[in-house]
Amino acid sequence: MKLKLKLNGKIYDIEVLQKNNKAVKVKVGDKEFTFQEKEEDIRIAKASFPKRNFSKKEIVAPITGEIAEIFIKKGDFIKKEKKIILLSAMKMENEIISDFEGKVKKILISKNQKVNKGDILVMLE
Amino acid sequence: MKIQRLEKVSSTNALAKKERGEPWTIIWAQEQSAGYGTKKDYWFSPKGGLYFSVILPKTDIDDLQTLTLLAAFIVAKTLKENFALDCFIKLPNDVYINRKKVAGILTENVLSNDTKFSVMGFGLNTNINQFPKDLENTATSLKIELKEQVNNEKILKQIVKGLKKQLKTISQ
Repeated sequence: MKLKLKLNGKIYDIEVLQKNNKAVKVKVGDKEFTFQEKEEDIRIAKASFPKRNFSKKEIVAPITGEIAEIFIKKGDFIKKEKKIILLSAMKMENEIISDFEGKVKKILISKNQKVNKGDILVMLE
Repeated sequence: MKIQRLEKVSSTNALAKKERGEPWTIIWAQEQSAGYGTKKDYWFSPKGGLYFSVILPKTDIDDLQTLTLLAAFIVAKTLKENFALDCFIKLPNDVYINRKKVAGILTENVLSNDTKFSVMGFGLNTNINQFPKDLENTATSLKIELKEQVNNEKILKQIVKGLKKQLKTISQ
């Protein structure tokens, strides 16, 4: 089993090499670690994912910047990968495309408006 | 480094975005009929200048922002090392000599929740003899400053090499 773990911006390649009742051998990058028998020695991280409603079709700003162009209007039906917004940031011009297909329900920004990374720009239905 | 050498294009960045080639493909044109910078500002691109776009590998958007800033330093360093010219960087990424613009860089990305495509375009006023009236007080070229021709291919290769090195460092 191979996994990639992103921690503090760095990506680690993790591979579970061997798993039986007595031991688990895990490779992280080029180093191998073996976890032995006693159950308390094997720490299992309880992963908790933030609650997110994946049924919501929201297009968010991937970077802080200024809205240079809006290519859609309320009521438009847009297809996946359609160009939605041009966001300028530090001389980078970023074409934001849609990850979803749907009808434009709400446009929450206007031209020349400054937005922060993570701000919701457009809502689809 | 795969270089596509072209005579005349509208814009190397526009072509790169349309064709979406492999990472580190270089689109190099001798002339641009519609070269542009930020906010689609016109970039004077006659024969003699150096106009190229570098298709970047998929990179985190924050790293791309850093790379865009570093690109101006790479251009300035290349010009200083080769021609002993004193360059001034107007942040985020224009390069000036004697208070006149000599180079500009524009990164364009296509992204949604992650980066789908990135291209970095470079416009360098290298072997340009003169500028139109509306630009002659704000733009200069290496030929005007040095009074001699420069080797565009050598400059291109050094910039791309610098870019690769910096991207490797910031992506680690």
